[in-house]
Amino acid sequence: MKQLASLACRTLLPRLGALLSAMTLLLGAPAHAETTLDVMYCYPSFARFHEPLAQEFMKLHPDITVKFRAPLASYDEGHQAMLRNAVTNQLPDVYYSGYHLLGELIHKLEARDQAVRIESLLKGEGDAFAAANFAPRLLALGQVDSRQYGLPFNASSPIMYVNADLVQKAGGDPQNMPTTWDGLIKLAGRIHALDKDINGLSYNIDAWPDDWLFQSIIDQQGGRMVKPGTKKAGFDGPVGLAALRTLRRLVTEGGMQMVDWDQSRQQFSAGKTGIFFSTPAQLRQVTDAVGSSFHFTTARFPLDDKTNGGVPTGGNAVILLAKDPAKQKAAWEFMKFVTSARGQKVVVEMTGYLPTNKLALGNDFLGPFYAVNPNFKTATTQIDIALPWSGYPGGQSVRIWRAQRDVIGTVMRGEKTPEGALPELIKVTEDLME
Amino acid sequence: MNATQNDAHCRQGAPSVATAAKRAGTRDAKRTPGTRGGLRRREHWTGFSLCLPAWVLLCALYLAPIIVLALLSVTDYEMGAVRWKVVGLDNYRRAFSDPVFRRSLANTLLYMVLVVPLSVAGGLFIALLVHARGVSRAFYEVIYFLPVTATLVAMATVWQFLLHPTLGPFNHLLDLAGLGRHNFLNQPGLMLPTLAAIGIWQLLGFNMILFLSRLSQIPQSLYDAAAIDGASHAIDRFLCVTVPLLGPTLLFVIVTSSITAFKIFDTVAVLTQGRHGSEVLLYDIYLEGFTYSRTGYAAALTVIFLALILLLSVWQTRQLDKKVHYA
Repeated sequence: MKQLASLACRTLLPRLGALLSAMTLLLGAPAHAETTLDVMYCYPSFARFHEPLAQEFMKLHPDITVKFRAPLASYDEGHQAMLRNAVTNQLPDVYYSGYHLLGELIHKLEARDQAVRIESLLKGEGDAFAAANFAPRLLALGQVDSRQYGLPFNASSPIMYVNADLVQKAGGDPQNMPTTWDGLIKLAGRIHALDKDINGLSYNIDAWPDDWLFQSIIDQQGGRMVKPGTKKAGFDGPVGLAALRTLRRLVTEGGMQMVDWDQSRQQFSAGKTGIFFSTPAQLRQVTDAVGSSFHFTTARFPLDDKTNGGVPTGGNAVILLAKDPAKQKAAWEFMKFVTSARGQKVVVEMTGYLPTNKLALGNDFLGPFYAVNPNFKTATTQIDIALPWSGYPGGQSVRIWRAQRDVIGTVMRGEKTPEGALPELIKVTEDLME
Repeated sequence: MNATQNDAHCRQGAPSVATAAKRAGTRDAKRTPGTRGGLRRREHWTGFSLCLPAWVLLCALYLAPIIVLALLSVTDYEMGAVRWKVVGLDNYRRAFSDPVFRRSLANTLLYMVLVVPLSVAGGLFIALLVHARGVSRAFYEVIYFLPVTATLVAMATVWQFLLHPTLGPFNHLLDLAGLGRHNFLNQPGLMLPTLAAIGIWQLLGFNMILFLSRLSQIPQSLYDAAAIDGASHAIDRFLCVTVPLLGPTLLFVIVTSSITAFKIFDTVAVLTQGRHGSEVLLYDIYLEGFTYSRTGYAAALTVIFLALILLLSVWQTRQLDKKVHYA
């Protein structure tokens, strides 16, 4: 069905001279030719910002029609659909790819000569454009092998959701949350001591669908997942050991319960968890669920290494796939719009993602919003410690994570010691990097 | 569920259609003895052309994909790849030395062992109880059949809440009873039995309805006759009359329950995401094919899966056919 629909979209072949008309249109000439953009994104719930963004864009560009394909259920499914579309030559003109899958996708598309680099388009906007709009760390999220294929659209790094009432009861200060893991675990232990039904904290790494939280616990120590230029795990030795010890302590001392991520969120919203780690993308949802049942604040991710430590950036980049020049031009306008300060304002207010455009932080856009919603601001203070969400060489990142997750689970449940499990963790990682 | 329901129709429908055709054929032959050869040829072609649409569909929808699947299973094709090569039986060899696949196979079989006997015996037990009811029968039928009509994915979310270690009512009851709280969906040893319990809950009502429909067809006179012959106790009558007459239905229920249990996927996908302790065959195939993009390997796993289902059904049918008394 989906394929039929996209086939129908494709039959609207670009007319001759569309490029010329698009250019004259930009100069303010009346619209004659129409360009239809075929756009695909993941997560049906994201329609709540994709749809209004497209409406606003079409108002600004009456000659361009944005048509969305049916949204895919997850980044993984979107990735699969893209690979199928590549084989059947039905790629959309614009796609939003999860950062962690962008490398794999581009490598596959490059091999088939279906990838499109956007450096020349970026240059065409003038030398100042990129620097004025995007922080280099964020712009790098749209790169693969140092080449630019997309622009950062949604970005997030893990933050702490805090039940300020519980923290205060346990003698902590919600406005000055611990900034190291040791301090945090001690506070969580005191929260759990208030009531055995209350979880001190929740760091649901053992149930997380991807390795985002594992990269976080490595990155925050200044460690890296892979030794650069090799196929060796970067977390052998003290970094990996410290990570596993910390994760075990969450359960033994921090009063953490090993549950599913959804269950964990339900529990936090019910006021029965002190500190809950999650993506800021869920802020709106959790804020609404909590309501006024307790005082809810957010805090930065603790860093054991304050100089080299960082957090991996989740989210997605908007990438260009159209080959036809007229469509490319229209798609580029669309990409620029959704990553502009104006576009990002729409996304941030509806989700909690941090804006990828630095102009969006200004008073004309999100400034007043952040003044009223300080919980949403926490994510933006982590832009300067944002690291890419890296994949492993060999393109088996998901499989590696599932193997790692099993090992991490055994440590957290106490079935294996951190010392005993680390060699196994490294082995499952390196075996699959080949 | 739809597939099994259709199967049920086929099983009941097929013989009557065949006998009707046979009857019609003999009648025609008697009426026009002179042109028997020509008529037979014409009948032959008519029959063939009537079958044709079904055959075309069968080939396009079932046979051709299975052939493509078998061909893919001997390659190292990855979704989106430009180059691929034939690797012979390497994928199959790899499957049986792959610890994840072996665990998935073992877990799936264990799940079946838990689900099939309990859902069949339970379904029969409930059917007997409901059958004995008078006015309230319809009420109980609806109650037990409700889980079948519910979308399993939506129900799984409800189960997730019911089984929540701290918020869930189920654990609250256990705690009150002094049995302590248990993390049903995260403790590796508990995951599979929990999924099995949900699977049984889903199958019970469906099996019950199948048994009920057969129970209603057993004439009261047989019970009366058995009673006269000395089957005075209800259990005697159950073993002498009900069980033999339920034979075909029992066979059908066991086969469909086994296949449904073997195909466990949705609860795993929603509740545990195939975490260690809940790895099952279909979820492993899904991961290989759709998450890891290993199309060739996933095709080999699917071939193994289909072969196992086929073997299982043929074996069960043969074994049980020997003991089934078709009324």
